[in-house]
Amino acid sequence: MKSGEDKYRIMLSGYIDNELTPEDKMELERHLSACQDCRRELEAFNKLKEVTGAMRYADIPEYVWENYWKGIYRRVELGLGWLLLSIGVIIILGFGLCALVQKFLLNPQEPFLLRIGVAAGGLGLIILLVSLIRERLFAYNRDRYKEIRR
Amino acid sequence: MKTVEDDDNELIAAIQRGRKTAMKTLVERYKRKAYYLALGMVGNSDEAYEISQEAFIRVYRSAKGFDLTHRFFPWFYSIISNLCKDTLARRESRESREVDIEESEFLLVDKENPETKMIKEEETKNLRKALLKLDFDEREIIMLKHFRDMPYDDIASLLKIPKGTVMSRLYYARKKLAKVFNEIR
Repeated sequence: MKSGEDKYRIMLSGYIDNELTPEDKMELERHLSACQDCRRELEAFNKLKEVTGAMRYADIPEYVWENYWKGIYRRVELGLGWLLLSIGVIIILGFGLCALVQKFLLNPQEPFLLRIGVAAGGLGLIILLVSLIRERLFAYNRDRYKEIRR
Repeated sequence: MKTVEDDDNELIAAIQRGRKTAMKTLVERYKRKAYYLALGMVGNSDEAYEISQEAFIRVYRSAKGFDLTHRFFPWFYSIISNLCKDTLARRESRESREVDIEESEFLLVDKENPETKMIKEEETKNLRKALLKLDFDEREIIMLKHFRDMPYDDIASLLKIPKGTVMSRLYYARKKLAKVFNEIR
């Protein structure tokens, strides 16, 4: 539970933002007349409000806004392009892998040693990929910011 | 009477039906707001621009799953806020926070009063540094109140916290900001 002093300090924010009820405002004003620390804090907050009130966001040129929609459209288009390309590459690679296994690795007419070499190379590549994915997942699990997202 | 929220949800419904023009209207309506919100949180205009565009792309991609009984803007805001958190986390992992503070350029003094310009420029620079030393939640609430001038009810609805928490969070954020600001000066 908040102490009386804490309650009044928190109310200072509502006071300078004009968000207190008339009763709370009167109660705080009574407290302020007797509490120098709160008056000092109120002064600091008012100063802060004055400083920030004199500032505004930096503008960006109008032509940037004019091209804003085009930028989004282009990014959506690019995203779709990459998605389709990825799907295509996965299908082609899958198809190629099946053909490689059926027509080369399982073909007794091909030299045995060559088939072993290709199989070992392919297996090595898969292990490397799995290792890379695992490393990424590990890094994600240690991401201390993912918990703070609402 | 029809409200802006009703309008927003009509646009989302049209996007769900595949109307590209509705997406464009939504972008035109919120592009500046999205950019300035992100700018206040990450303090860098290039990143803010990128974040605002990415937020719209995510709206477009997940519009089909949006529940039309809810309001659009709090959902959109949470997308922007999460993207800002990701950006800041990436920036911290690059250990370039200090560089970004120096290069930050998200606030400018109102130049209506030229004789106080020099003092104000110094104050702006100090405040900019102080703001970027706050934690994300603190900077976020300061930005919503001081630079967007939002009432507590709206902030509460956006951040999904009670109105009383808005007041206390603002108090602690202001207290820290005033302290850091005075230390820098």
